[in-house]
Amino acid sequence: MDNYTYMVSRQLKWMFYILAIFVIGWGFTDYQTIFAGLILGAGISTFNLWLLQVKINRLGQGVVERDEKRRTLGMLTRFATAALAAAIGLQYPEVFNMIAVMIGLMTPYLVIIIDYFLTQTELTTRKRGE
Amino acid sequence: MLAAAIAVGLGALGAGIGNGLIVNGTVNGIARQPELRGTLQTTMFIGVALVEALPIIAVVIAFMSM
Repeated sequence: MDNYTYMVSRQLKWMFYILAIFVIGWGFTDYQTIFAGLILGAGISTFNLWLLQVKINRLGQGVVERDEKRRTLGMLTRFATAALAAAIGLQYPEVFNMIAVMIGLMTPYLVIIIDYFLTQTELTTRKRGE
Repeated sequence: MLAAAIAVGLGALGAGIGNGLIVNGTVNGIARQPELRGTLQTTMFIGVALVEALPIIAVVIAFMSM
């Protein structure tokens, strides 16, 4: 398993853990609108994260195999899904807290940055040959 | 409406230029050294994800301001 595949599975694992925590918070606390917004945002951004990972892998594969077919990164799809989350949050303000939806949408970036720094620290503090 | 369109448009413009530069560098690197694909893809992934964070916020704020 190469670097990239390992990173992809690690990030998705952390996103599912965070989603599970949000679901537990929605079920067991009184802050249901906040946690519903967090679930909506984090769910859609998990899809965005997975889409970006798949598209980047396809692009790399295409370059290695000298595939001339045009490859895209799916930026429009990700914007559209974020707009969908915003539209759902605005349509049902009694169910979803809008600020929580925005925080949920930004969750994977936090995961990516923390994961990157943890991995870098692990790689740089490891001695040679280990 | 116009403000929302300008916010999304300028955000997407910046993201498009940034993504273009990142993808250009990565594709060049992978084409020269295919064995470094995993490392280069990882760097590209982090770059593209961070570049696209701001336009996504712009899209949401544009929807809220409409």
